[in-house]
Amino acid sequence: MENNEIKEKLQEIFREIFDDPELIIEFKTTAEDIEDWDSLTHMQLILEIESEFNIKFTTTEIKKASNVGEFIEIIKEKI
Amino acid sequence: MLVSEYKSKINSIELDDYASLLNIGRKLKKIEDIKYNIRIAFLGSTSIQLITSVTSALLTKYDLFADVYEGHYNGILMDVLDYNSDLYKFEPDYIVILPDYRDIIDLKPGILEGAESLNKSLDLVINKYLNIWNKIHIKLPKSHIIFSNFVKPFYDCLGNLSCNYDFSQTSFLNQVNMRLIEYKTSYVTIIDMEGLSSYIGKKDWFDECGYFLNKSGFNLRYIGYVCDLISRQFAAFIGKIKKCLVLDLDNTLWGGIVGDVGYNGINIDPNDPEGEAYIAFQKYILELKERGVVLAVCSKNEEENAKEPFVKNEKMVLKLSDFSDFIANWDDKATNIKRIAKNLNLGLDSFVFVDDNPTERELIKNYLPEVKVIDLPEDASLYIRSLNQAYCFEWNQLTKEDINRSKTYEDNKKRESLLDDCVDYDDYLKRLEMIVSFEELNVDNMPRFVQLVNKTNQFNLRTIRYNETEISNMMEDSQYKLYTISLKDKFSDYGIIACIVLKIDNNECFIENWVMSCRVFKKTVENFTIEKIIKEAEKYNCKVVRGEYIETEKNKLIKDLYIQLGFQSYCDNNKKEFVLNNVKNYKQKYFVKEK
Repeated sequence: MENNEIKEKLQEIFREIFDDPELIIEFKTTAEDIEDWDSLTHMQLILEIESEFNIKFTTTEIKKASNVGEFIEIIKEKI
Repeated sequence: MLVSEYKSKINSIELDDYASLLNIGRKLKKIEDIKYNIRIAFLGSTSIQLITSVTSALLTKYDLFADVYEGHYNGILMDVLDYNSDLYKFEPDYIVILPDYRDIIDLKPGILEGAESLNKSLDLVINKYLNIWNKIHIKLPKSHIIFSNFVKPFYDCLGNLSCNYDFSQTSFLNQVNMRLIEYKTSYVTIIDMEGLSSYIGKKDWFDECGYFLNKSGFNLRYIGYVCDLISRQFAAFIGKIKKCLVLDLDNTLWGGIVGDVGYNGINIDPNDPEGEAYIAFQKYILELKERGVVLAVCSKNEEENAKEPFVKNEKMVLKLSDFSDFIANWDDKATNIKRIAKNLNLGLDSFVFVDDNPTERELIKNYLPEVKVIDLPEDASLYIRSLNQAYCFEWNQLTKEDINRSKTYEDNKKRESLLDDCVDYDDYLKRLEMIVSFEELNVDNMPRFVQLVNKTNQFNLRTIRYNETEISNMMEDSQYKLYTISLKDKFSDYGIIACIVLKIDNNECFIENWVMSCRVFKKTVENFTIEKIIKEAEKYNCKVVRGEYIETEKNKLIKDLYIQLGFQSYCDNNKKEFVLNNVKNYKQKYFVKEK
């Protein structure tokens, strides 16, 4: 899967969780950029991404993944 | 978003759909026309924000709109022990406490230590929580505590040996959970989080990564189940409970169509896997009946055919006498269920409907939306699971009166046949040989008192609800007098059927609360009751007795009660107040004898 394809899917998940149908994410998007992105929504993101791509993150990965690009890198390795 | 829109959304979300639940939980604060009607504090040792938000969302199903207080992470003790804490400033009606096994696991006894050491550990743990409950109760005597039992972890370093030794982590936590039951007081209700985690399966329940990262006590995928467990308890507190199970017959209680194959041809065969499944389902239903659920049959059949298996087929577990009502005809089931409700004098909102036929289920869902409809799976071996996991019969407590209720309906049939023999209604009442007792409320009768005061809608003059703690407080206050009235007749013992609260103030007696079970209407118990109330008032030197009727949707039946009992009325806006100025020689006519 290409980076952009993964990003598209992630964007859907982000839109759903942050309840914003127009939300646009970039590789550089971090928690700073999205108001409701806190430790709780972070866990939700993880759960949703795990189900969507049928993967499992490790604790280290979840701790480290701080922007969208990093998420994409981890996902790419796992699928 | 409006409340109505929000409610229809939440009702369409399955408990499995954690993402939608988390989403809608966040939207609760955005409801424009929300009016909070309950104050709940959540305290926990793990992170509770999402539990707070999803529970609040689920509570709207029961028209409960919660103003919530969220304790700090791992802040149970901090909030409870500090009397200046925000918890006490918030003054919650209910406090939900969700501890975690990690709070107490260091207190477990050492390997191979004896009984003395184990008991010391258990005492330490229990005293810790008794102290917490007690502290809350002293400071917030009106609040009720909902306390989760301890979820045992899936691991134990002793492996299988853990269930061979009482000092193991697993055995220790089992015993702590037992002691919670043993030591819980009237203002505490335990919720079975351990049971839920076992049902889910502990290997899925626990999310170690989630705990280390975020202090989630369980895998967030199950948030719906956790919050449903909590919110069901609230539904029970406010009396939104199911009491009556309405059952179809063919392919629900037995395999096959009795009208086609006859009472001996139906499949209820213990040597056949399907037949065995129907037997097991009947046994489960019988257990429901024994815990106080009222059973009724609603079947499309000739009545004679429908009844035959119960009488003639020895393999049947359920007998005709287990049912309080039995309707078998060719009318539509919505009409028949309404008939059952009328016959049993129960509200449709207390009904659960079980039928294997999806068309019938749809009909009831559409025409009687207040009835809970169980979507039975096709496979009869899954019927018990499907009914049990719908958790229809979550009650606040069990009382003797609940257990005997279905017998009372049976006895009603005998009463009806007596009525046919009588010359008039007075004659009938005399021949019932009714005996009443009027007693001051004692502690043993407390659960029934709480239940009757909180769930009675029809014969309830002011519809003021009290929790157990408020009632205990009134019992200790000399201004208040609380009474229970029990009734039995030649057919059955109804137990406690009415509750009274009087407030004595300056030679005036005010009937603060008067409720009576709908099962004993029109038996002149109310005439006896008022005479006793007047006598009690006289005893406390009251010259005047006052009563009030506050109208609700459901209590119109008794709007003229005080007038019928000789009181004079005077209206004050919406309230209707009544007064009896002369308490001397007050007499009523009734057909009950005092014990």
